[in-house]
Amino acid sequence: MSNVIEARGLTKRYGRTKAVDHIDFEIPAGRIVGLIGPNGAGKTSALKAILGLTTFEGDLRVLGKNPSVDRAALMEDVCFIADVAVLPRWARAWQLIEFTEKIHPRFSREKCLQYLKHTKVTLDHKVKQLSKGMVAQLHLAIVMAIDARLLVLDEPTLGLDILYRKEFYTNLLNDYFDEQRSILITTHQVEEVEHILSDLIFIQEGRIALDCTMEEVQERYMELMVPPEKAETARAMNPLFERVMFGRHIFLFKDVARDQLESLGEVRTPNVADLFVATMSGGEA
Amino acid sequence: MKRLLALMKREFWENKGAFRTTPIVIGIIYVLGLLMAVITTVYFDNEFHTLKDAIRFIAEQDEGIRTRILYEGALSSAGLFTVALGFVVFFYLLGSLYDDRKDRSILFWKSLPASDTLTLTSKMLSAMVTAPLIFWLVFVATMILLTIIASAIVLVVGENPLTLFLGAGNLFKAWGLILASYLANSVWSLPLYGWLMLVSAFAPRIPLLFAVLPPVVFAVLQIWIDFLKTFTFKDNLFGVIGEWFANSPLILSGDAHEGSGPGAALGIPITDTFDHAVTIGNMLDRLFSYQMFIGLVITSICMAAALYLRHRATDN
Repeated sequence: MSNVIEARGLTKRYGRTKAVDHIDFEIPAGRIVGLIGPNGAGKTSALKAILGLTTFEGDLRVLGKNPSVDRAALMEDVCFIADVAVLPRWARAWQLIEFTEKIHPRFSREKCLQYLKHTKVTLDHKVKQLSKGMVAQLHLAIVMAIDARLLVLDEPTLGLDILYRKEFYTNLLNDYFDEQRSILITTHQVEEVEHILSDLIFIQEGRIALDCTMEEVQERYMELMVPPEKAETARAMNPLFERVMFGRHIFLFKDVARDQLESLGEVRTPNVADLFVATMSGGEA
Repeated sequence: MKRLLALMKREFWENKGAFRTTPIVIGIIYVLGLLMAVITTVYFDNEFHTLKDAIRFIAEQDEGIRTRILYEGALSSAGLFTVALGFVVFFYLLGSLYDDRKDRSILFWKSLPASDTLTLTSKMLSAMVTAPLIFWLVFVATMILLTIIASAIVLVVGENPLTLFLGAGNLFKAWGLILASYLANSVWSLPLYGWLMLVSAFAPRIPLLFAVLPPVVFAVLQIWIDFLKTFTFKDNLFGVIGEWFANSPLILSGDAHEGSGPGAALGIPITDTFDHAVTIGNMLDRLFSYQMFIGLVITSICMAAALYLRHRATDN
């Protein structure tokens, strides 16, 4: 399977600080990858490098192109939604559609209008007249009408209310995603993307802390919930992370036999947010 | 080409107020001005005596003089449009690579497959062609309207507008020369335009300050150092800019040739580097000059730097 993105030793410096510090990763076609990390971890810097919006060191290929040199050509196959408020405020919806149609060879006006039909956005609306949620709908309609191979979303639902957020990902999954396409998402709202992700990349202080598929997460990570009297036994088994909730101790284990844990208490697959917290505070996951 | 046109149309949409509304407002001021003058005259003189006398006086003048005055008048009549155009283009270019960084819409524009080179080209062409062309079109429309109103008044007074001024003044030639001077000035002004674009690409905030302050500081230092060295004032950046403006192919009022009396002139006739008479040849002289060559070198440097900055620009 061909890789949509290949990074080798990708580094981004701002003066002396390294926002991205020599990272390697690849994203195969047909995956939905979550790039997750705390603020200032280097997510946005990595995305900007991928999108040709910044210079970088190391080797980075997006669809076989160097984004820093071939941004314009690359954008025929890559779409991105940076975050909600980047559509120009002065523009009317029809102007954005007409402009995109003329600039982008793979934009379909019909598709875009069809998506807009389900929203309250009219063609004559100016962006500044729209609510945040409606701007996001308009932007998503434009982007989904582009037949691209890679879609990059940087905090796409930031500032949206919960109704729009749900709808945003539902539309994306139902109407857009297919085997040929890949989606790269960064977000703080891990819970709302976790069910659509196929791969996870955790990034911390410019380095990759975890890079695996969701299947691997399910196979290798287990969460064990035990009453206090059994906590000591569980702790002896070298868990990655421990937290206490409602008087019960919850341990996160990696690569430990399931039946061994089941003898102590309730075992389940950790959710991404818990895995994230454990990884970020525990270091090596 | 299709993409370039789409980008230029985008610039027009964004700057409709400056590019289209401004000249229309000036046109309305021209028309209202004429109507107010006529109404005032009629108010104090409802028999049209003064107006009749004035028009008869013009009609009795020697045709040569009448033609010259009308022609010079037509050349100078775009004055307010020209000044406003200058301001519009100045501020348009200052914001051209700054506004979308400030409101973060650069992230949308850069997500589309239009290269930075094409984007810069479209913005420069908007300043050089779109804005002057729209201003000129509205100017001509205004002049046609004014001519119709004036003809009607002349008819009411009982004179023939055809012989009085329509036939005598070569209006079309004057309007054509104004368009030519606008376009020639777009080329002549390239170093300034390039500088403004560079500042627009560079300025972290308040581009106006970054555009004006460095040249002023530089010129003041020049003057100061000259004075310390020789106790005289030599040529400095202010002088260079002043001379550049005085030599511009823009039609400004002035005495084109010594003793020819007030009228229209190219630039300000205080230098003798170029001929200031309003002709296409004199405009071309400027565009194919050594000075223009230096200007184009400066423009290229500014544009290359602006392109470099735009290439790396994101929201900040």
